[in-house]
Amino acid sequence: MKNPDPWNDILDLGLPPERLADVLAAYRDILVEIGKLRMLDLTDVHPAIVFEPTAPYRNKP
Amino acid sequence: MRNELWRQPLEELAPAIRDGKISPVALTEACLARIEQVDGKLDSFIHVSRNALDAARHAEREVKAGTWRGPLHGIPVGVKDNYLTQDMPTTAGSDAPGLSFALRDSVAVSRLRAAGAVLIGKTRTHEFAWGNVTPPVCNPWDLSRVPSGSSGGSGAAVAAGLCVAALGSDTGGSIRMPAAACGTVGLKATFGRVSRDGIVPHSWSLDHAGPLTRTVADSALMMQVLAGYDAADPACQAQPVPDYRQALDRSVKGMTIGVCRNHFFDNLQEDVGEAVEKAIADLAGVGARIVDLNIPLLEYGLGAIFAIELSSSTAYHDASLRAGRVPHFQPDVRTLVEMGRLVTGPDYLKAEQYRTALMQAYRKVFESVDVIIGPTTPITAWKRGEWTVQVGGQPESVLAASWRFTYPYNLTGLPAISVPCGFDRDGLPIGVQIAGRPFDEGGVLRVAHAYERDHDWKERWPDI
Repeated sequence: MKNPDPWNDILDLGLPPERLADVLAAYRDILVEIGKLRMLDLTDVHPAIVFEPTAPYRNKP
Repeated sequence: MRNELWRQPLEELAPAIRDGKISPVALTEACLARIEQVDGKLDSFIHVSRNALDAARHAEREVKAGTWRGPLHGIPVGVKDNYLTQDMPTTAGSDAPGLSFALRDSVAVSRLRAAGAVLIGKTRTHEFAWGNVTPPVCNPWDLSRVPSGSSGGSGAAVAAGLCVAALGSDTGGSIRMPAAACGTVGLKATFGRVSRDGIVPHSWSLDHAGPLTRTVADSALMMQVLAGYDAADPACQAQPVPDYRQALDRSVKGMTIGVCRNHFFDNLQEDVGEAVEKAIADLAGVGARIVDLNIPLLEYGLGAIFAIELSSSTAYHDASLRAGRVPHFQPDVRTLVEMGRLVTGPDYLKAEQYRTALMQAYRKVFESVDVIIGPTTPITAWKRGEWTVQVGGQPESVLAASWRFTYPYNLTGLPAISVPCGFDRDGLPIGVQIAGRPFDEGGVLRVAHAYERDHDWKERWPDI
């Protein structure tokens, strides 16, 4: 079995190569900002989104 | 005599309707005539209700019979086109084939109806509330410029007097940015204060609801109706809803107002910086204590909001991606939706960890200040079709510049209001932003009202 292709198999967008190149280029500046975020050490910080198992039992109208 | 009832704010219209001095029918006719007269230039409405006059007649009969439902009774209100409505189509700004939205009222809309509001039409949104331009809407202060977005239709419509108030939604600044660009008041309530049930999702943990109005008092009156627990919105909280009008009567004497000097004052248009500094000085002049502060973590916010917003939006549109509908989205929105697959799971969760850290930093700041003030946006309304602006002598994309000062309050969920604080050298409105502690909408309204009542910005109208 061949290894997954990062763009076609993992992204699974089915984009032609030219379009994929455009999307990757547009993402470049955003990746710079996400790169800054990756540099933060937040090991001991719980994510803001908290799993709440009682949610389905809330009274819905 | 021309019917210019559309010029009156909600705070004046409400008692006049209650006392039978103004007819809801005449008021609705005035707004409909105004739409007919100027919306060909603005394009702020995508749909005008055929039921508006019937609703106004019904309101008038009720008021005459002694059943006044409250300040919104008989008031024409615009609804952003990403709120579901049972009697008007919803498009979320998209004409992509194969998409349809339910004909039912969102909770916010049902609250407005129960309060007797006349839902006059649907205002345009940037497609799926994704952008800051809202094509084809024009800014009423200069038709060659954008109204910002994504609630650009609501901003333009309220600013031009096409409706007395309007609903907006705010994922990174989409109520406050058009409020600033169009010279209106825009209030993003605390995350969990106003139900988002029936609002087409953009990014579940960032989406907020709220009103755009001509005055701060009008914003308080709208929030009084919109606020409250709703079990259908998983994020909604059962917090007590205070009387927001009472907050307006209190001065700011003795309050401590924080000015976050990092991030919020970086790379500003000169006129924006001067207007906001003057607003801060004016609040000091009426008794507020001003304290400068810094929140260094803000430096990492842009990556965090992009990671959350892109991945959430792409998850919401997953079925459209698989069905091949996304290539039919507008080019900017298409790119953003396709791009979301590039955000990794760890990046998303790092962003959510960052939010916790940022919320804790704000909590610490709010131990010593009551509200935080700063510019709503670093720039005023830009030209249509312009994608880069000069800010502080540097070129910056409008996508990056426009939401720099608003998105921190989407990441933290804190309440934030934009209030007009002047005009730039081209005659374009400038907004000042006031943010507060969780569920302290009363505090931000109090400071906003204290500023507004000492200035005449709300008396100025665009010449359209």
